Amino acid sequence: MRLFKLFAPYLRGSRTQCVLAPLFKMSEAVLELLTPLVVARMIDQGIAAGDRNYIIKMVGLLALFAAVGLAFSLTAQYFAAHASVSFVQRLKSALFDRAVRLTDAQTDAVGVPTLIARMTGDMDTVQNGVNLSLRLLLRSPFVVAGAMIMAFTVDARAAVTFAVVIPLLSLIVFGILYATIPLYDRIRAALDGVLSTAREGLIGVRVLRAFRVEHRQTEEFKEKNERLTRLQIATGRISALLNPLTVILIDLAVAVLIYVGAVRVDRGLLTQGAVVALYNYMAQILIELIKFANLVITITKSVACARRIGGVLDLPVEKQTGGVTTGAGEEAIRFDHVTFTYENAGEATLRDVSFTARRGETVGVIGATGAGKSTLIDLIPGFYKTERGDVFVLGANVKDWDPQALRSRIAIVPQKSRLVKGTVRSNLLWGDPDASEDTLIEALKVAKAYDFVMEKGGLDAPVGQAGSGFSGGQRQRLCIARALVRHAEILILDDSFSALDYVTEAAVRRGIARSCKDTTVVIVSQRTSSILHADRILLMEEGACTVGTHASLLQMSDVYREIHRTQFEEEAAAHA
Amino acid sequence: MRNEKKKPTLRRILHLVGAYRFHILCSLLLAALAVAATLYIPILAGRAIDTVIGAGHVEFARLLPLLYRIAIIAAVNGLSQWFMQLLNNRVSFRVVRDLRNQAMAHIERLPLSYLDAHATGDTVSRIISDADQFADGLLMGFSQLFTGVLTILGTLVLMFAINYKIALTVMLLTPLSLFVARFIARRTFAMFQKQSETRGRLTGYIEEIIGSKRVVNAFAREDAAKEDFDEINGDYAHFSLRAIFFSSLTNPTTRFVNALVYAAVALVGALAVVGGSLTVGILTCFLSYANQYTKPFNEISGVIAELQNALACAERIFSLIDAPEEPPDAEQAETLQHAEGRVDLEGVCFSYDRARPLIENLNLHVTPGSRIAIVGPTGCGKTTLVNLLMRFYEIQSGSISVDGRSVDQITKESLRANFGMVLQDTWLKAATVRENIALGKPSATEEEIISAAKAAHADGFIRSLPQGYDTPLTDDASVLSVGQKQLLCIARVMLSLPPMLILDEATSSIDTRTEQQIQQAFSRMMRGRTVFIVAHRLTTIKDADLILVMQDGKVVEQGNHAQLMASGGFYAELYQSRTAQV
Repeated sequence: MRLFKLFAPYLRGSRTQCVLAPLFKMSEAVLELLTPLVVARMIDQGIAAGDRNYIIKMVGLLALFAAVGLAFSLTAQYFAAHASVSFVQRLKSALFDRAVRLTDAQTDAVGVPTLIARMTGDMDTVQNGVNLSLRLLLRSPFVVAGAMIMAFTVDARAAVTFAVVIPLLSLIVFGILYATIPLYDRIRAALDGVLSTAREGLIGVRVLRAFRVEHRQTEEFKEKNERLTRLQIATGRISALLNPLTVILIDLAVAVLIYVGAVRVDRGLLTQGAVVALYNYMAQILIELIKFANLVITITKSVACARRIGGVLDLPVEKQTGGVTTGAGEEAIRFDHVTFTYENAGEATLRDVSFTARRGETVGVIGATGAGKSTLIDLIPGFYKTERGDVFVLGANVKDWDPQALRSRIAIVPQKSRLVKGTVRSNLLWGDPDASEDTLIEALKVAKAYDFVMEKGGLDAPVGQAGSGFSGGQRQRLCIARALVRHAEILILDDSFSALDYVTEAAVRRGIARSCKDTTVVIVSQRTSSILHADRILLMEEGACTVGTHASLLQMSDVYREIHRTQFEEEAAAHA
Repeated sequence: MRNEKKKPTLRRILHLVGAYRFHILCSLLLAALAVAATLYIPILAGRAIDTVIGAGHVEFARLLPLLYRIAIIAAVNGLSQWFMQLLNNRVSFRVVRDLRNQAMAHIERLPLSYLDAHATGDTVSRIISDADQFADGLLMGFSQLFTGVLTILGTLVLMFAINYKIALTVMLLTPLSLFVARFIARRTFAMFQKQSETRGRLTGYIEEIIGSKRVVNAFAREDAAKEDFDEINGDYAHFSLRAIFFSSLTNPTTRFVNALVYAAVALVGALAVVGGSLTVGILTCFLSYANQYTKPFNEISGVIAELQNALACAERIFSLIDAPEEPPDAEQAETLQHAEGRVDLEGVCFSYDRARPLIENLNLHVTPGSRIAIVGPTGCGKTTLVNLLMRFYEIQSGSISVDGRSVDQITKESLRANFGMVLQDTWLKAATVRENIALGKPSATEEEIISAAKAAHADGFIRSLPQGYDTPLTDDASVLSVGQKQLLCIARVMLSLPPMLILDEATSSIDTRTEQQIQQAFSRMMRGRTVFIVAHRLTTIKDADLILVMQDGKVVEQGNHAQLMASGGFYAELYQSRTAQV
């Protein structure tokens, strides 16, 4: 019910179609239900009386039923397709919007692959479920019940057979369904096992061969494959019962029906045509019940998917606090006793971090993986909220900033170089949609990306999905250029030189220093050489932060000395 | 052309299912029996109805035996369908199993050049989903096709035998159904193609944007992204609506054709009854035939598409199974016992692609126990050398020898046994920590495993894991950091510690402390062994006995540190830029 409430707004636009589709579908079913009666009339009145005109009239009626039924049915199919497609289109759009605006804490909790699955495969399943439900959910039970009711109107005594057969058939169909659904889950799990063993063997082929154990992987595969096959055959044994059992039941029912009918006819209570009608109704039931059983499977799957989609859609919208849209002051960034803990993490990732960065300064951040460098960076544009303490950017508390306004003052080069499909130009324009051609070229030059971009055909060179077509180092430089286009007051480089060789890195760094004189630059790095000249260096150790300069840290900190020594010992030796 | 290609595929399929020919023969016989029973029942029912003429005119004496017969035939029908399905299941699941085992066993013997050239996902999908679709489509499809054709033929024969006029009516109307079905199928196919193209675009966009959500937020591109998304989503809805609608036309329209056939049979039949050439019961029988008659036609057109798909899938699996295997060891190849560690490369040429020469005339002489550093920018082809030493790839000319014996005179297995390899991308099995360490030596004792782990500085963190050495590692092994995974890979080599090592040094993503531990583990391993190191650290490079400088897949310089610095080439430039203060 909650699910329905959540989805109702997206169904609203298709309300008419949602009513009309089943309505037309049922109208078609009514015609189908009337057909046996027409045939019965033809037999009892037309044939019995030898009335050819009557027969032709009845056949004309049958043809009319067929034509009208077709029209009804096509209309219904169209409405159902339209309603399900539009519904899912709206739902997808809403989910996408929701997903893009999730806070990072929420994204972490859900996981990116999950989000993508919700928007793709799950949506298709829901669409199919809605479409089939509109078409069949009402129709199939309607035909089954209708056939029984019609049978009762023909002859109540004979129709008792229906009252017995329908529950029995349902029991068989749904019993087999009920018994096999969990088995199919197990089959899927077993298949996943076979699949991951194959994948593992392929990905690890070098190691397996180096250790000469490739054969063991194959044996493991065979074992899992055998288990899967046995499970499939066992499950098949149960589902193989469906056809034979239902067919036997229906045929026996036909025999009983004819006998009961015969007794009634003998007593003059029923006509031959009526017996034929009853016989025809019996045939209709089976097809519809099996359709219905398949529908139940589809709906079960769809509801599961819908529930998962609902789970994302239902995530609380984080209050986008703060109306501050402008900031000023000499302090570009200030951390005031900031402590931060990730959700579900036992320990704090940042502990009591304080520092100030003035306008135009360069701040270096260094430390081991997991020391909290990236977390510290993420608090500046407000990707996460502090647990204790405050972060001030351009004089105002991040909590009071309007997030979009805040982010428009900051340019980030992320650790992972993310580009999107399009052209070099379209990617750079992310930095500033109004940037001039000169700005773009200048940014490319500073980022040492100009040469390879020109080689690939200039600003309009195509960029493949996720930046394919460019090497890791080139992508990284394009991301730097994208950030530079922004001309923001704060530039954050999160380990952004990792794929560049030392020569290129140095050149890019010099370029940034030259062209971003008034910009506050934050550089996160593993290498001391990248941050050595920063006005301030933050040395992160298990969430705690020591602030100093290269010289003062070399004096104060054993850890910093050690990091520097391992990276520069040759140089020291060379000078000695 | 197409047929030529398909012929061998068909023959191979026959060969594959040949092992189950007895099963298949039985299944076909049972199918024929089931069809006969299915067709016989309406006749019996018709005759039974004919005994029910009117009040006081019911011939019970004739009726009851007919009803008993219906019951018996129903039982025969049910049983033969049941046995047929059991047989079909057995055959199709086992054929898939055999095919998968065959493919996997073949992969074991495929050269790495094949595996590197084919995406893992593609190969996996051949083994998994293509095999499935092949079995589903081919075996189930074949059985459906057989049943369908038999039903149609049987129905026609029976109808002609009973009343040729009605039979002719049905026959004349049949093409209509086929025509309609084909018309719809063609339209639908085109729409489905467009739909899946657009789906690809949509999925690509979603993956891209959600995958880089952080950047989208950082650059406040949420609204722009939604606009783009809505556009593609709109296109998708457009094609999706048409695809769904067209495909949903099949049922109503064939039902319509069916209803027309039904009406025609009713007309001709009823008039014949009036004329006295037919009974009401037989008319009923005809009507129920007319009801069933078009069903197999629909199924057959579906089945044919499925069969084509199955053949395509079979071709994909066979092309995997047919890929040429790695040549076996030379007949006179000997086992290399514990090698001394002398490695000589003489005039080695190698390239992945003949058109683009890579390694040309490489000479390299490595004395036992020396350390060779391979340096160069990312993607320069350092792994190529590893590939050649391990004989993952075969050189095109020249020779590689170990302890003075050419490697092609040594069994691959024993050659590889003399090398310990630790690669940069750490690969661990989905198994316990213990099993991962003992990968190369399943017979290792607990003490051996623990001492290997200790030597690799891994014992400490392993013990802190929830289940210690029994902790299962999943696919992504998220319980371990990158550094810890690397330590496990080192422990794995520590366990057997062969005389020669190939090491890929720590990566930039590992923090300094872990890196130090890894270095300690590495240096412990290297003592007294011939070592090839893909080196990142300047210390390693400087201390190496021989440095190979690689660029664009070629060895551009070789020598020791002093020699290379003196020559002032690419190495000297790299070295200076790295140590220079900016």
